[in-house]
Amino acid sequence: MSRISKPRFNWLGLGFLAPAMIVVVLFFLAPVIMTAFFAFTNMSTSTGITGGDYLLSQSDLRSLANTKASAATLDALENAGYRVDDAGLARLAEAQGPATADEFRKLHEGDLFTSRRDMERALKDLRQHRIRSTRDRKLAAELFTSSVMDQRFDTEEAFRAALMTSGIEAADHDTLVDEAYTGWIWTTKNIELLASLSSSWRYAMNTAIYVSFTLAFNVGFGLFLAISTFYLSPRVAATFRTIWFLPRVLPPVLYVLMWYWLTWDTGIISTLAGYFGVAPRNWMLDTGTNAWVVVILINGFVGASLGMILFSSAIKAIPASMLHASEVDGANRWQQVRYIILPQLRWPILFTSSYQTLSLLTSFEYILLATDGGPGGTTEVWALAAYHTALNNYGGNLQYGLGAAYALVLVVIGIVTSLLYLRFFNFRELVSKPRIEQ
Amino acid sequence: MTANFRSMPVIALLTIVSLPLVIMYVFTLVDTFTNTEPGSLVPNEFTTEHWRFLWSPDVGRGSVWVATVNTFIFASTTALIVTSISVTAAYALSRLDFPARRFFLSGIIILHAFPTITLIIAIFLILQWLGLFDTLIGVIIVKTALELPFGIWIMKGFYDTVPWEIEMAGVQDGASRFMVWHKLVLPQVQPGLAALLIFSFLSGWSEFLLPLVLAPGSDSQVLSTYLAYFLLDDSLEVDFNLFKSVGLFYAVPVILIYLVFQKKLMNIYGGGSKG
Repeated sequence: MSRISKPRFNWLGLGFLAPAMIVVVLFFLAPVIMTAFFAFTNMSTSTGITGGDYLLSQSDLRSLANTKASAATLDALENAGYRVDDAGLARLAEAQGPATADEFRKLHEGDLFTSRRDMERALKDLRQHRIRSTRDRKLAAELFTSSVMDQRFDTEEAFRAALMTSGIEAADHDTLVDEAYTGWIWTTKNIELLASLSSSWRYAMNTAIYVSFTLAFNVGFGLFLAISTFYLSPRVAATFRTIWFLPRVLPPVLYVLMWYWLTWDTGIISTLAGYFGVAPRNWMLDTGTNAWVVVILINGFVGASLGMILFSSAIKAIPASMLHASEVDGANRWQQVRYIILPQLRWPILFTSSYQTLSLLTSFEYILLATDGGPGGTTEVWALAAYHTALNNYGGNLQYGLGAAYALVLVVIGIVTSLLYLRFFNFRELVSKPRIEQ
Repeated sequence: MTANFRSMPVIALLTIVSLPLVIMYVFTLVDTFTNTEPGSLVPNEFTTEHWRFLWSPDVGRGSVWVATVNTFIFASTTALIVTSISVTAAYALSRLDFPARRFFLSGIIILHAFPTITLIIAIFLILQWLGLFDTLIGVIIVKTALELPFGIWIMKGFYDTVPWEIEMAGVQDGASRFMVWHKLVLPQVQPGLAALLIFSFLSGWSEFLLPLVLAPGSDSQVLSTYLAYFLLDDSLEVDFNLFKSVGLFYAVPVILIYLVFQKKLMNIYGGGSKG
């Protein structure tokens, strides 16, 4: 057989892969890494996602009182006094005109006043360019405040420079810089919060309920559909399979809309129950139990079809002679299912279960559309909590960092489970060398 | 082999459990063209008023036609990109030898199994940084990237079924590997290519969460978010006949495509993409 030099293959292979690599790395692997990165920040709507600036507000002052900042520093921040310096004079020139500023410079340049009243009194010393209204004088006095409070600084350097001139103890500068920063910072608080919040345990419990019940329904009902349609004539079987396959084909939003109509107080269940004198109510959301039943059915009716397809093709693969032989031996239908069909389905069942466990663990599309976690958080599963924390909540302050921490847990589970699947698959066969190169 | 079995009990049982779905389907169809008295189940008049969203733009959020065009652009673009990238990458993984091939293969298996929706928060922030947030282009790129591992995996499956002898013969006759792929192998996987294209299109057409999170504005909305607005906005009066008409309008292409290409698609649906 003629051999073609190997290096040519190498480049063609990598070249063929390159476009896929680029897209996957940028928008698949990068998000995985970034999830871990975001999970260790305190990013939220209020910190923004780019850098921030430096601003000490009154509320910062209150929280500073609980830190190691000294009393002298707090006092200096609060009652910083008023200094007649170049910066203040420039501001005065802008507000009241350069002539006023020049006169004031001659009178009081370099002076320091401890209270605003003194500062205002000093402004009354102006003779040629008086500031007549009291209100204007008050505003003018404020121009000379030497406090760093309520001033916005773009960079840390500018903020530190202001701290230096304000005469605050150098030991407290770092504390103040941290407190004043309005952007996001690195933190491990999210992870600690996850472990300590009682709500996160509740989400984990909800997820366990959701995954186990839905999975049981999917596999059990999928089995029922596959086995029962196997015994029917092809046309009848195809009809039922189509009915059960449609939820998988229909867009999720329309599918859930149908469930709304089925369960809401103007829907068909309420209408039918009305014939028996039952008051109409929202069967989807009126109690926690009902919400769970509906959520599990919504997911189960979609999920069962995957089991149905996989199990059906596995049953078709069973040699017909085995089934015929059992019938000759007088096996009834139940015995045939129990002793011939079910043993053959062991691997498809295992595959479907492991595959669906992971996808149920992380899916929240149908719950979001149906109950949105309600009533009162009863059906709030982990993945939905991540979504609500980071991307959509009624409070309006979206906590990207905390949400990413929720998501990180799922990402880690996802990676570990996928690695396990890799072992489940017959890996050596999947990666066997191409034959032409051998 | 069903001689000693009676099938009627099974059919009866199947009919009962299938009833909720059948009722949903039937009433979704019927209610869009009829009115029904409150508290009754039988329609009493024919009407087209539930389709008013098609001509009066103030019924939903924005125009349904803009959303339809957006959905079509979104679904067809992602389908085209996913298919064209998968077709080369899958061939490389299936048939070519190159450095770190094992690594790439196991990588694609892991990515295929990995639940992509967990990445939505990070993607949301990345798109904001890139300035692609709330644009159709942003959602298209993301959907493409998340769909790719699946597409490559499916395509690799189709390549794996092509007999080696075809390629061996081509190489023997002196054709380059590229020529062999282009002239001999590609025609063999034509059905797979079509199936992946259709499947990706349907998947894009039905996609809901990505547009919801990454393109929430009304200019870049697609039909799924257009329809979801009716369901999720509590301030709206509940009008199921209108909602169903919007839903049916949204789903008609899906149902038609499914009916026409049912056989082709079954291969792929077996691979599973929804919980």
